[in-house]
Amino acid sequence: MIQFERFELKNGLKVIFHKDTSTPMAVVNTLYDVGARDEQEDKTGFAHLFEHLMFGGSVNIPSYDAPLQNAGGESNAFTSNDITNYYNVLPAQNIETALWLESDRMLSLAFSPKSLEVQRSVVIEEFKQRYLNQPYGDDWLLLRPLAYLKHPYKWATIGKSLQHIEEVQLDDVKAFFKKHYNPANAILCISGNFEFDYIKQLVEHWYGNIPGGIKPARILPQEPKQTEFRKAVYERDVPADAFYYAFKMGERKSEEYYIADMLSDELGKEKSSVLYLKLKKELQLVTDINAYILGSLDQGLFMISGKMMNGKSMDELDTALWEVLDTFQLNPITAQELKRLKLKIRTSREFQEQGLLNRTMNLAYYELLGDANGINEEHEIYNAIEVEHLQELSKQLFVKENCSLLQIKATQSHE
Amino acid sequence: MNRIEAPSLKEIDKINFIEPRKVLIGNIAPFYSIENHGSDAARIELFFKAGTIIDRPVLASLCSGLLLAGTSKETATEIHNNIDDLGGFFDINLSQEHTVVSVYALNDQIIPLLTIVMDAMHNASFPEAEIEEQIADKKQRLRVSYEKVNFLCQRDFQKRLFEGTNYAKVTEIEDYDSVTRAEIIDFFNSYFRKGLLKATLVGRLQEEQLREIEQLLAPWAGKEVTNNTPIFKQQKGNYHIEKTATVQTGIRIGRMMFDRKQEDYHGFVIMNTIFGDYFGSRLMKNIREDKGYTYGIGSALAEMKDNGYFIIGTEVGAEVAAATLKEIQYEMTQMKDQLVDKEELELVRNYLLGQALKSADGPFAMMDLFLGVEMHGLDYSFYNEALKKLKLITAEEIQSLAKKYLVWEEMLVITAGQQLID
Repeated sequence: MIQFERFELKNGLKVIFHKDTSTPMAVVNTLYDVGARDEQEDKTGFAHLFEHLMFGGSVNIPSYDAPLQNAGGESNAFTSNDITNYYNVLPAQNIETALWLESDRMLSLAFSPKSLEVQRSVVIEEFKQRYLNQPYGDDWLLLRPLAYLKHPYKWATIGKSLQHIEEVQLDDVKAFFKKHYNPANAILCISGNFEFDYIKQLVEHWYGNIPGGIKPARILPQEPKQTEFRKAVYERDVPADAFYYAFKMGERKSEEYYIADMLSDELGKEKSSVLYLKLKKELQLVTDINAYILGSLDQGLFMISGKMMNGKSMDELDTALWEVLDTFQLNPITAQELKRLKLKIRTSREFQEQGLLNRTMNLAYYELLGDANGINEEHEIYNAIEVEHLQELSKQLFVKENCSLLQIKATQSHE
Repeated sequence: MNRIEAPSLKEIDKINFIEPRKVLIGNIAPFYSIENHGSDAARIELFFKAGTIIDRPVLASLCSGLLLAGTSKETATEIHNNIDDLGGFFDINLSQEHTVVSVYALNDQIIPLLTIVMDAMHNASFPEAEIEEQIADKKQRLRVSYEKVNFLCQRDFQKRLFEGTNYAKVTEIEDYDSVTRAEIIDFFNSYFRKGLLKATLVGRLQEEQLREIEQLLAPWAGKEVTNNTPIFKQQKGNYHIEKTATVQTGIRIGRMMFDRKQEDYHGFVIMNTIFGDYFGSRLMKNIREDKGYTYGIGSALAEMKDNGYFIIGTEVGAEVAAATLKEIQYEMTQMKDQLVDKEELELVRNYLLGQALKSADGPFAMMDLFLGVEMHGLDYSFYNEALKKLKLITAEEIQSLAKKYLVWEEMLVITAGQQLID
């Protein structure tokens, strides 16, 4: 059970406090309810580039990182298709430094042209390093627009292309800040060995006079229900063929999300999973195969992906995979299998909750989902899943019309 | 309200180092444990002497991958099923000096899990089919790695820096074709059986459970190999590995250094932090935050048994690779020619103190911190020395360390990617 308290400031800032008496450190985590899905189609990659600019100095403080480092702390952030999340980890006695810095950049940025120029280059190098200069690096850049036709999930967080990043203007940056970066669109989560009243007083001091904005309405293009099998094949200079089967699944807040999570564990997480046993151990078609879900807030993807064994064809795999999925739909898993799936989820969770930073980030994320206490209720949701739920969902997911298939054909040949 | 001025800071007055409980397994191998209060998570780590340097690296690589691949009674799948039934996880990590087998479970499942793993290892039969599968997988993974400039330059750096020693040995695709099952079994018998050098536990177990673990591990306990430490020569020079159609170039720069027992160690770590080992370092400020040449660049003092080496690593835009080398050289010169100013030194002092506090936060972090000194035959007084050095070090001392070690002409420089453009 993760304990927490919450309050809200007049300007709309939601605050969660999690007390941990065992640690000398503190975490200050700020989640902004904005991600790549909120971008315009002709300005993709912007939310992420903006995240970089948040470290380029704020209205009253020229440098974000230096004062934090001087307080013994460190900071970083990430952007996803759904959210942008900033975190500071520092010795508890210096927590005020993090609040001073974090509140000032919520108030306003410095909007320095130099920062935009440099971070534009940095992000372009990040784009190259992660997506262009790696074998199979562009797989998600290819898969997203295949699986999503209308919804902004059709582009990756890094953006559709380098060109979009090259074209960003300082005015775009200012407009984005104005629209998305205000107290009403943020969740602040603080943890450490503090008293609630002390945190409340500090937060009111540093954030209380930031003008309240309006939480921007989110009206996203809806993804039409997929009714046809989609397939795309690309040739790449890589050593082995790779395949990505993407099945549409429910949104993060649906019950289906939890069932799909468990279903993906059963099908392709460990060396005892269904796909691993059949397609790798028995038929020796693949060198690796995994099933997993994207935990996206809107309609997500249930993924089955892997690499081919040299000499085996993706057609053979395709036939065999659908056979496994069809058989799986007809034969329920045993009670023992279900029990161990649940036990493994519990073990993973226990390890994830070891870290103060993880707990703090997760509380903020669950608050975004609707209630921070969701973090404590999840266990029950998983526990309530029965064999039939997995069965039903697999029937619903694993049909051709619900599938988008990306194949990467290797142009290198090896015996 | 005053938003211009930073809130006042408070010094970190002390860091609590927790001494693990220590017993000897089979009278030879130490078993360290730290209690994990208030959590059900338990981890056991087993350090075997089966690293890549001990024999042909391909043997360590295959053998470590086949530890749970079946016995005369059970298939690999049955073993994995048994592990899953306990809700447990395991992983096996291979380094130059060790193979580390780690198991993770809830407290009440950790001993049953360890029992399964040790039983599977004890009776490991190394089935032919499993070996073949493992070889096919590893070959493919290596071929994928060959496509990465990062991998290419790191590997070449390793081959050249450690030239003439076992540390320089790497696995090539064709090495997998010459391995026999008998050699793998032989490797297992030599370096896993009686090859357990130490074990650790983080968890919340009763005294009798700890003894149960000791008994389970006792048959495996072995002595550290006492062959002579290899002699490393300083290697230098520039080498380029051509890889066409790449948009970034991988860079590794470095030299042999020393381990934690050398007197310059603490000072060097502080000097290196300023130079390249945190987000606000000279290298990051110049090459990322001013020039935008890279997504990240860093330097480190990497540690081995009785030795260590300095390494700078980055991936940069292909067109700015040569310019990056010049900037790195420039930053080395700056460290040597200019005294670090008071403000920067103070910041790094505070930053490192905060990081030290963080690195001692929680039982898992504490065990890692402990192993960091244990591997060199040191104890926690090493960290207290480090903290003392942090308070006392002067700009002059940092400059003299830079002059002694950050000498561009003495560095080994490896690049991988397109031909460098000047």
